[in-house]
Amino acid sequence: MRWAREHPAWTMFAAMVGLLLFLWGMAIPLSLAPAPIGPAAGLFADGTRVTVMLTLVAGSAGIVIGVLAGLGKLSAFLPLRWFCNFYVWLFRGTPLLLQILFIWLVVPQILPESVEISDFACAAIALALNVGAYNTECVRAGILAVPHGQVEAARALGLSPFQTFMDIVLPQSMRVALPALANNLASLVKDSSLAYAISVVELTMVGYRIQAESYQPIPVFLTVATIYLILTTAFTTLTAALESQLDVGRKR
Amino acid sequence: MELKPIIETQDVHKHFGAFHALKGVSATFYEGQVTAILGPSGSGKSTFLRTLNRLEPHDSGSIRVDGIELDDNLKHLDAIRREVGMVFQSFNLFAHMSVLRNLTLAPMRVRKMGRKEAEEKAMALLERVGLKDQALKYPVQLSGGQQQRVAIARALAMDPKVLLFDEPTSALDPEMVNEVLSVMRELAHTGITMLVVTHEMGFAREVADRIIFFDHGAILEDAAPQAFFSNPEHDRARAFLSQVKHGY
Repeated sequence: MRWAREHPAWTMFAAMVGLLLFLWGMAIPLSLAPAPIGPAAGLFADGTRVTVMLTLVAGSAGIVIGVLAGLGKLSAFLPLRWFCNFYVWLFRGTPLLLQILFIWLVVPQILPESVEISDFACAAIALALNVGAYNTECVRAGILAVPHGQVEAARALGLSPFQTFMDIVLPQSMRVALPALANNLASLVKDSSLAYAISVVELTMVGYRIQAESYQPIPVFLTVATIYLILTTAFTTLTAALESQLDVGRKR
Repeated sequence: MELKPIIETQDVHKHFGAFHALKGVSATFYEGQVTAILGPSGSGKSTFLRTLNRLEPHDSGSIRVDGIELDDNLKHLDAIRREVGMVFQSFNLFAHMSVLRNLTLAPMRVRKMGRKEAEEKAMALLERVGLKDQALKYPVQLSGGQQQRVAIARALAMDPKVLLFDEPTSALDPEMVNEVLSVMRELAHTGITMLVVTHEMGFAREVADRIIFFDHGAILEDAAPQAFFSNPEHDRARAFLSQVKHGY
């Protein structure tokens, strides 16, 4: 990992390319494997794509939610603070599976008949809200870790509160928050498997179906586990590279 | 020479909870003047300096900078902060940005200057403080004295009319104090208005046009350096001077 730390931009690029190649070409090597894996290679590839999409969509939405709610928790405006505290308390205090089921069953009832919301979207919303709640605490800690002198210097130079936040506070807070956020993202790759409960055909669901047809759970679940490991490794490499990119200010 | 007022304060009060930090400070500072603000710690001199660009809002009284009233109006505040630069005791350079970016950020964001122009200007300023070679380094890679010189250059990049120095050498190792003072000395001759909170008596005596002595949240003496150092009017000032002289 020393090389990855010294060349963060390349590592990020390589991890991205690797992930894309993996998604794109996964069906080819898998199709060479003996039954029950080979014949189902296309299904594995589809399931992996859904898992990655869920992770990326929910992960990026979750970061935005985390930043907004993290700021909200530090706001001087008391009702906003209450609201953000309530949100974190609610989503950290209830099971993720329940949240997914709740959104899947309740949201269509609230929305007007004409609006269709896909199973995938329901899963993505629930996962984003859940990971967002965990991100909130990381972001808040990160913001509190930025020395107040940095803000004073920016304000004294005439930067607006918004510019101060975007240019000074947020980048510096990310340096502190990123390891924890990366942790949450790695968890999200795995948590996305709970979407199988609302019939989203992601990787775990694919594995479950294939073993149900072939009666061979061992090779099927080993394949699924390997794919998850490759995905989480790619995501952590990516975030590790990002971390050292943000760490420049501390390097000697 | 006719003196044009640039900062006027009238009966400024400031409380921190029950502590009465500023007790009715009235003073006028003129364009091009270098004022050293002295006084024992806790006397309110730093607080006073920080009220001048509203890092500490004052509770009552009035502060006018370049004719603009410093109040809750954000437009006034922005206008004033564009004209008033500040140098801090702990430098407060932006830790995640290179030296060059520290200097170009505010001109690009606040003055809407183009990147090329901002960078040329930054390099010229870095040359002036003797740090042209350090432009691409990060603050942690510099010594304290170098960081403070960068901080001065960063404040100058906004072309301020007034520069506030809040104990600029107090956090420095002794061998680095002089490099910062010599930059400040050079600045003082350029005609920029400077207000310097400091414990450097030699600098105050040699460079300042005027000495203000704070005690218990109020201005006790306001005099020319010659008069203040050779013959202070009040016992408190005399005691303070003999204390700091012992330090040398």
